[in-house]
Amino acid sequence: MSLKLDFNLDNETYRHYLNGHPVVMHSHHYLALVTKLAEDLDDIGGAVILRDVVEETMWAIFEDYIQKNGLTSPLDRCNVGREYYSAFGLGKMVVTGSESGGEVRLIRSHIDEGWIMKWGPHSKPINHLTCGYIAAIFAAAFNKPVKSYKVTEAVSMAGGDAEGKFIIKLA
Amino acid sequence: MTVMRDTVVKSLAKITVQGDENGLIPEYDVLVNLLPVSLLNKFTERILAAAPADKKGTVEEGLVRAAYECGYHTGCGIITSDIFNDVVLPMVTEGEKDILRGAYAAFTAWGWAKSGIVQLKEAEKMVIRANDYYEADSVGEGLRAYMFRGLCQAFFDLTYADPYPDGMDTYVCRQTKGIETGDPYGEFVVTKK
Repeated sequence: MSLKLDFNLDNETYRHYLNGHPVVMHSHHYLALVTKLAEDLDDIGGAVILRDVVEETMWAIFEDYIQKNGLTSPLDRCNVGREYYSAFGLGKMVVTGSESGGEVRLIRSHIDEGWIMKWGPHSKPINHLTCGYIAAIFAAAFNKPVKSYKVTEAVSMAGGDAEGKFIIKLA
Repeated sequence: MTVMRDTVVKSLAKITVQGDENGLIPEYDVLVNLLPVSLLNKFTERILAAAPADKKGTVEEGLVRAAYECGYHTGCGIITSDIFNDVVLPMVTEGEKDILRGAYAAFTAWGWAKSGIVQLKEAEKMVIRANDYYEADSVGEGLRAYMFRGLCQAFFDLTYADPYPDGMDTYVCRQTKGIETGDPYGEFVVTKK
């Protein structure tokens, strides 16, 4: 499967759309600082808020694509999220697993590499955005609602490892 | 000739970005991402809703800061990029003023805010009007175009403060009107900090 990317522009507002969804460009500085803000506000659930928002938003986008393109197999449905990840400029991942859970290897990562470019390696995993993203991939792949999977970042590129690793389990 | 806004907007708006073979978008000396607007707005809404009254100011400052640093570093890459050199620089006859006009044309073209300068006192004050910006879609209370405030501040620093990277935090941007609060347009005022 290869994700179809349809870029559009509203000629009145100049807002940009990808497959019908409004999108906007920012840089690694923005996402690194948004991630750090979520970390700094962990006493009010900052990191969980970031994960949840990403999971809900991405799940809706994957489902929209899956429905419009009549995708039925878990592999095809999973590939929608995996390929969108690269189209959004977030990096490159390898997904393995089944309905009961699995593992994601992060080969390249906008968030982790951006964090390191900005501040150097960190003492703990920070890729909350990708945790939420992977939860959305698995939920969409296996036709489940959001919050069906728990994702843990087990190995962190921002922590200095060459690749990231995420463990996915049914919630 | 000064910067012809419509020409710049139409030229820059055609540019689309997407990940390379590594799923990354290295442009303008940074890594670029392309995210759904609803994700960014929802994060702002929820983090602000979760913050107790005594922390809301810290959250707002953090949101502005994220856009400010993004705008300052990426902005330098943009105004020194090949595309900016090709499209905007040939029209620049009024120095910094025209660079700023070109920057707001770029903001418009790239979907951050359909905006332009309505008042400019060089190196002292700038008033921006935005007729459309994605943060106006967010749900919440009060003026809340934190991203755009950060961008306005960043580009005034890049234009009139000490040369990059020494000019950070020279100016500050306040939002005085907002579509999100019922005004017909957003208004942003940049002054010395």
